[in-house]
Amino acid sequence: MVGLNKNILRSLLILSYIIIITLVVYGISAIYSYLNTGADRSKMLHTEIKKIDQYLPKVQWTPLNNEGRPMDIQTRLDVENDYLDAWYIKHLAYKTNSKQGIDDYYTEHARENLFDIIDLNASENTIVESTTLKHHPTLEFFSEDGQLAVITDNNVVEFKRVYKDNIILLETTEVASYKVILLLEDGFWRIRHMVKFKVETYKSPPVLTSVKNLSIKGINYYPQATPWNMFGDDFDTDIISNDFKIIREAGLHHIRLFVPYEGFGSANVNKDKLKKLRQVLDLASIHDLKVMVTLFDFYGDYTVLNWTLNQRHAEMVVSALKDHDALLAWDIKNEPDLDFKSRGAHNVMAWLKSMIDLVKTTDPKHPVTIGWSNIQSTSILKDKLDLITFHYYDDHEVLEKDYLLLKDKTPNKPIAITEYGMSSYSGTWNLFGSSEKKQAEYHKKMQSIFSKNDIPYMSWTLYDFTEIPKEVVGRLPWRKNTQKHFGFIDKDGVKKASFSYISKE
Amino acid sequence: MIQKFTYLYAFGYMLLFPWIVTSQSEDSIQLLTKELQFEAGNAIVLEFSNSNKDLHGLYISNSYGSIVIIPIVEDGMLQYHMPELISNKSGQVTWKLLNTDQPISGAFNIYPKQDVATLETYLGPPSIEAGGADYTMLVVVPTDSLDNPLKEGTSVLAKHQFLSSEKTDTITTQNLIAYKNIYSGTETGRILIASESLGSHSKEYDVNVMAAIPTDFSISADRHHAYADGNQITTFSTSIIKDRYDNVVSDGTFVEFFITNKQGNILKTSGTTIKGIATAKMIHPDHEAQWQIKAIIAGMAESPMISLAYKQVISNIDVSFSENNRFISVGPLQSFMKQMIPDGLQVNVLVRKNGNHIKTLSKSAYEGYATFELKTDIFPQGTYEISIIAAGINKTFKERKVW
Repeated sequence: MVGLNKNILRSLLILSYIIIITLVVYGISAIYSYLNTGADRSKMLHTEIKKIDQYLPKVQWTPLNNEGRPMDIQTRLDVENDYLDAWYIKHLAYKTNSKQGIDDYYTEHARENLFDIIDLNASENTIVESTTLKHHPTLEFFSEDGQLAVITDNNVVEFKRVYKDNIILLETTEVASYKVILLLEDGFWRIRHMVKFKVETYKSPPVLTSVKNLSIKGINYYPQATPWNMFGDDFDTDIISNDFKIIREAGLHHIRLFVPYEGFGSANVNKDKLKKLRQVLDLASIHDLKVMVTLFDFYGDYTVLNWTLNQRHAEMVVSALKDHDALLAWDIKNEPDLDFKSRGAHNVMAWLKSMIDLVKTTDPKHPVTIGWSNIQSTSILKDKLDLITFHYYDDHEVLEKDYLLLKDKTPNKPIAITEYGMSSYSGTWNLFGSSEKKQAEYHKKMQSIFSKNDIPYMSWTLYDFTEIPKEVVGRLPWRKNTQKHFGFIDKDGVKKASFSYISKE
Repeated sequence: MIQKFTYLYAFGYMLLFPWIVTSQSEDSIQLLTKELQFEAGNAIVLEFSNSNKDLHGLYISNSYGSIVIIPIVEDGMLQYHMPELISNKSGQVTWKLLNTDQPISGAFNIYPKQDVATLETYLGPPSIEAGGADYTMLVVVPTDSLDNPLKEGTSVLAKHQFLSSEKTDTITTQNLIAYKNIYSGTETGRILIASESLGSHSKEYDVNVMAAIPTDFSISADRHHAYADGNQITTFSTSIIKDRYDNVVSDGTFVEFFITNKQGNILKTSGTTIKGIATAKMIHPDHEAQWQIKAIIAGMAESPMISLAYKQVISNIDVSFSENNRFISVGPLQSFMKQMIPDGLQVNVLVRKNGNHIKTLSKSAYEGYATFELKTDIFPQGTYEISIIAAGINKTFKERKVW
C-alpha cells in the first residue's frame, strides 16, 4: 500500500513538474513574441494594402492637357484618390462634427477653414450629412518638381441634408465648380486652397413622355428551386428557358426579375452574375418576353455616405442591359415604402430621388418606376417616375374603385400593378385559410377587373416554393407557409386551378 | 434619464426658437440686400423684409462647408450677419432661407482682398543642368491676409539673377497660381530667384546650375620609377573633365580606371573628381609588365588608352639548401640598385613528387630573404622537385633529395 502511494505521489510530482515547465516555457515564449510584435518591417512601413470601397462618386477626367509637366496615369490616380478621400473625410467630419483625419488631407492653413466650420456647427448643434455624386476634374497645372497640382473640378453634384437639433432643416442638391490647389506632403496630396467659383442649379433628367398605354400582361418570376437566389450556383438556363416557354404559352408577354444588391457584389458588380442576368434577358428575348428589372433587392441602407456605392452598382447593371431588346423598364426598388418606418421616410425618399436620376442619366430610353407596396403610396415621387406601379394584395372588391381614382389623379402616366396574388395555403398554421379553388376564383375575378378597365398587370408568382429565405417574410411559420403557395403551378410541377386564369378570365 | 433630459431640452428649444421647427405662411419676405459682390474681410449682412415676424434660419454654403445661422431683428427686418468664417473666405456663397413657403435662395460672391500678405512660393527642382535645355519652375500663389488666393490675372514679377544678368519677367495668375520656367545658361553657378506682387516681396530662393554631362578626357600616369618592385604606387589622373560648354564637372563625378595586362587580366581602380580631376592609385606589379589603361565615366565619357611598361628588378634568385635539404633560403633578393628588395615581395615554393603537386609554401620576403622549412611530417624522406617562384622568375630543382 505504501509503495502504491509513493508511486502516485511520484507521478504527481513529475506531472506537476512537467506542467510548471510547460507554463514557464509558454510564458517566456508569449513574452518573447509580444516583444517581437511591431518589429515586422512591413508593418512599420504601412505597406500592406487595406483598401475597401467606401466612397465612389462618378469621376470623369477631361483628357490631360495641362500646363507644366505632363502627368502620368499613376500620379493622376494618386491625386484622384487623395482628392476624393479629402472629400470623404470632409463629409465624415461635418456629419460627426469631429476633426479626425482632416490633417491628412488638408494642409495646415487649409484645415483651419474646416475646423472653424466644425466648431461653429458643433456649438450650434448643426449637422450636415453630405455626399458628392459626380466630379468632372480637369488638371490645369502640374509643377515641374511634381509637388503641386491645380485642378478645376467642374459641376460637382453634392447632396446635403442639414439637421439642427436633430431636426431636418433642409435637403438640397447643389452643383458647384471648384478650383483646387493640391500639394504633395508626406506622400499625401493635400488640399491647400479650395475656391468655389461657380454655382448652378441642379437639373434632374426629364421624365419620359413617350411611355403611353403599356399593355403589360406579365408575371413575377423566380425558378421553382431557387427563389430569391436565381443567379447563384444552381443557375440553369434550361430550367429558365422552359419556364419562359410556359409563361409565353400561357399568353403572358412580360416578366419581372429581381437583382439582389449584395448578391451581385455591391458596389463592384460581379461579372459572372451580370453575365447570368444578361443570359436570362437573352432567353426572354428568344421567347418574346419583355423584362422589368428590379434593382436593389434585399438592400435597406439609405445612408447618404453610401449613396456613391449604390450608384456605382446601379450604373454597372443599368449600362450592361440598357441596350438589350428584351428590357421593358427599371424598377428602382421593390416596396421601398415599407422601409419608411424603420429607416426614416426622408432617408428613403432622398435615396430614391437620387437613384431615379442616376438610372435615367445612365439609360435615358427605358421607363423608370418604383414598385410601391400599396396603391396609397403611388402619390410619392410620382412626378419623377415615368411609370406608376404598385402591388395589390388587398381585397379585390375595392381595386376597381381605387384604380379609377388613381387613374383620375394621374391621367398622363401609365399605371400598372406589378404584383398581386393569393396564396392557396391552408394547414396547421392557417386552418381557415385559402384553397386552390379560392385562389382560382380570386384570379378569375382579378382578370375580369383587368380586362374591364384595361389594367396592365403582373402576378405573383409562377411557382409554389419549398424554401423561403427569412429575409423575405421573416421566420414566422404562418407567414412562410403562406408565402410558399402563391404559385400557379405547385411544387410538383402540376398546374393549379388558378393557372387557367393566369392571363384571362 | 438622459433620454428624458434630451426630450426636455428639445421641447424647450422648440418653445424658444419656433422658427426652426415650424413653417408658417409668409408672403412678404424679400431680400433687401442688393449687393452681390463683397470683399473678403468686410462684414456681410443679408437683410430681408419680414412682415410676420417669423425668424427663419439661413443656410449658407461656401468653398469649404455649410452652416446655419439665425437672424437679428432690426426695424422689422431680418438681418443675417455672416460669421467671419464665411465673410473671410473668397468664392461663391450660396444661401437658402429655411422653412419658407416658397423657396427663397440666392448666391453672392466674395472676392479676395487685393493686397498680398504672403507670396507662397514653390521652386523646383533645386538643381538643374547647364546648357539651356533644363529649367526650374517658379510657382507663386499670391495670397491675401485672410489666406485667399488672389483673383485671376494678378500680375507677379518673377526676378532672377545669374552671374552678371538680372532679369524681371511679368507673369499673371491663372487658376490661382502664376508660374515661370527659368532656364539655365551655358555656365554653371547659382541662380537667385525672388518674386514680387502688388508691392510685396518674397524671400530669396536659389537654384544650382550644375555642369552638363562630361565630355571625353585624357589620362596620365605618375610614378616614382618604372621598376616592377611590387612596392611603389602609380597614380593615375584625368585631365580636367569638362562638359561641352567648358564647365568643370561637379565634384564627385565617379571615374573608373581599367588596367589590362599582357595576359588580358583586368585590374580596376577608381576615383572621384575634385575640381574636375579624378585620381586613382595602383601598386606596381612585382614583375615585368605592360599595362594598358583606360578611364571611363559610365555611360557618359571615356579617355583614350595609355600604356605603361614596368621593368624587371630581380634578374636572378639565389637559393641555398641546408639541414638535409629541408631548409630553403631564398635570397638575397636585390632590387635595381642592388639594395635589398623592400619587405613584402611574395616568394612561393612549389613541391612536386613524381610530377604530382604536393604543396605550395608561400611567404613574403623580409629584409631581402625568405626562408622555408620542409617539415618531416609533411615531406617524408625522398626525392622532390622543388620550384622557387618570385618576381616572375621560376627556378626549378629537378631532383632534390631530402632526408
